[in-house]
Amino acid sequence: MTTAPLKYSKSKKVGEGTYAVVYLGTQISSNRKIAIKEIKTGMFKDGLDMSAIREVKYLQELKHPNVIELVDVFSATNNLNLVLEFLPCDLEVLIKDTSVVFKSADIKSWLLMTLRGIHHCHRNFILHRDLKPNNLLLAPDGQLKIADFGLARSLGNANEDLTSNVVTRWYRAPELLFGAKHYTPAVDMWSVGIIFAELMLRTPYLPGKDDVDQLDVTFRALGTPTEQIWPNVSMLPQYNALRVYPPPSRQELRNRFSAATEKSLDLLISMTQLDPSRRCDLTQALLHEFFLESPRPTEPEDLPKKKEKRVKEEDDEMNKRFKV
Amino acid sequence: MDRNGKVKTEAEQDPQPVKKQQVSNDDLYRRSTQYEMWSYTAESFEETRRKANESGRKAATEKFNEVFESIRQKSPEPFEKFKEELNPEKLLDLLTYEEETKYLHYYSRSIIQTCNHFKMPTQVRATAVSFFKKFYLVQSVSEYHPKNILYTCVFLAAKSENYFISIESFVKALVKVLTKDILDLEFIVLQSLKFTLMVHHPFRPLYGFFLDSQAVLLHPSPLMYDVNIDTLGSLYDKSKKWLNDYALLSDVAFLFTPPQIALAAMYDIDKRITDRYLKKVFLKEQKLEVIDEEPKESGFIKKEEPEEAEGVEPKEDKKDPQREQYETLVKTIRRCIRIAKQIPETTKEESKNIDKKCFFTLNPTRLIEKRVTKLSSPSPEIKQEAA
Repeated sequence: MTTAPLKYSKSKKVGEGTYAVVYLGTQISSNRKIAIKEIKTGMFKDGLDMSAIREVKYLQELKHPNVIELVDVFSATNNLNLVLEFLPCDLEVLIKDTSVVFKSADIKSWLLMTLRGIHHCHRNFILHRDLKPNNLLLAPDGQLKIADFGLARSLGNANEDLTSNVVTRWYRAPELLFGAKHYTPAVDMWSVGIIFAELMLRTPYLPGKDDVDQLDVTFRALGTPTEQIWPNVSMLPQYNALRVYPPPSRQELRNRFSAATEKSLDLLISMTQLDPSRRCDLTQALLHEFFLESPRPTEPEDLPKKKEKRVKEEDDEMNKRFKV
Repeated sequence: MDRNGKVKTEAEQDPQPVKKQQVSNDDLYRRSTQYEMWSYTAESFEETRRKANESGRKAATEKFNEVFESIRQKSPEPFEKFKEELNPEKLLDLLTYEEETKYLHYYSRSIIQTCNHFKMPTQVRATAVSFFKKFYLVQSVSEYHPKNILYTCVFLAAKSENYFISIESFVKALVKVLTKDILDLEFIVLQSLKFTLMVHHPFRPLYGFFLDSQAVLLHPSPLMYDVNIDTLGSLYDKSKKWLNDYALLSDVAFLFTPPQIALAAMYDIDKRITDRYLKKVFLKEQKLEVIDEEPKESGFIKKEEPEEAEGVEPKEDKKDPQREQYETLVKTIRRCIRIAKQIPETTKEESKNIDKKCFFTLNPTRLIEKRVTKLSSPSPEIKQEAA
């Protein structure tokens, strides 16, 4: 940790928002490209912003090939600066880019890297709580890195209340949709399951228009939870089962995910169990047979990359990525 | 604390395993900023604190000299007249290392009072104390008065532990503290914390030991005739209180790992049960262990060299590694207990005195002016004589 900003040069501003300005820059000693997230301080009624605090807190602890690296933190003129590794692309961009073809080995590779990164968070008792393709960044060497820890938190004591108002809607687990105040790392697992589906479909799997619609979209795809398949579900604060959809048959899932192997469907089903206690955990997912069957996951450096773009578009993407 | 919580790697599935090194919870702890940046030996801890005190005194002296010169230049007269009394060496009275230590302990207690006032959870309270202690490992009361630092630490700890409280409602409940006082310091505190906010407390491992001791001592059948779930429950509750009374206020968090501190609490509350538990864990289960590999460090990290290391010749006949581990652990626990109970007591009189000293250190102008006024106006005795 240093106080000398001279170690980095800022080349251009790529985004500005309510709580941060993001610059691209270079670490002078190594000539390494970096992103500098300058957190505005002293501008907020309540001091340092909570998201900034969370981001610093958790990224300081998490060092892993599949988690974005916090290279340094420094202060300059009372600003908090997070020096992050420079990651030029994210999974959402690739999913939307219809000119890029995904092979099943590519999907396996991205899924594996995502699971490894989250496994590292969970074994450190940290929940991410905002997993989505947009937060899965891609390094130039193809490595996938989990980013944006602004909603993360430590797994607290068993009796501590948590807020259910987390995770971007489309990736929100059913227990959160029902307003559960106690939940587990399974909420992240759910998000990964939905991302896995999205990688196969190349379109969002459960795109609810609002919170009510999200319940409907979710249960139409995966069945409405009942006391039989999810004991005590009706005790959850916002439980309602206006429309009862039957759980999808295996054949229905096969039709929906036409290119999926039986093992990949097994894993998807395991990740998207409605009852969080039946959902697989990160270790189980990593050990799943899907990762042992052919084809082998693509080596990161051989994964599809974003097509070359003009600078302007790149800037727009950076803007979006940093949510500023 | 976790004997079984090892994470399986993909290698385990492999029929021809290239024995991959497993990442244990201890490994993870060793990568935490708490271990890497905020763990000390007793010696290095004291040295760090002395350094902080020293550099605080130095900064305070410089500030004093500056103020002294500027006042003297503005009104040189009294300085000529009372050359003897008005010289920097005589006026300057800085806090010694011992005084600063006592003073900080006194303020650590008020953190707990403040947190209790806001009915904040244990986690926030413990983190606030940790922030406060860390701040003064880097800074000194000779530069930053502990009162506002304390409140800032509580405010920041609340945010960091997801117990947000708005600055308005926070300040409203405090006496003579302004919003600005705290927000101005928040960044300085964060910087002094070297931007590390994660604090691992002993409460969680204590709960883990509570659960594990039930499994070890009660199942399948009770090991001790007079120990049941209620006995262990009461041991747990008392240990929690111990952590609040001793671990939180002492410096053990900088010298021992959270599970060591948790075990120290249990051991000090009930040596018999805790020792039985440890023996069962370390000594009786050894037959289940595979012998062909190096003894792994199990749930306890030795940050410091064990005390008996000096003078003990390595014995030729190989000592049972399990027993050795058990013995080292018990020694570590005992030392933790001893240090936890070395909390300096400060009398009200004493802390009032230190408080005054601290005030004048931080406000040299007031100190000099007060002295000048006192010297310039005739004392009551002289008046009486004249009358």
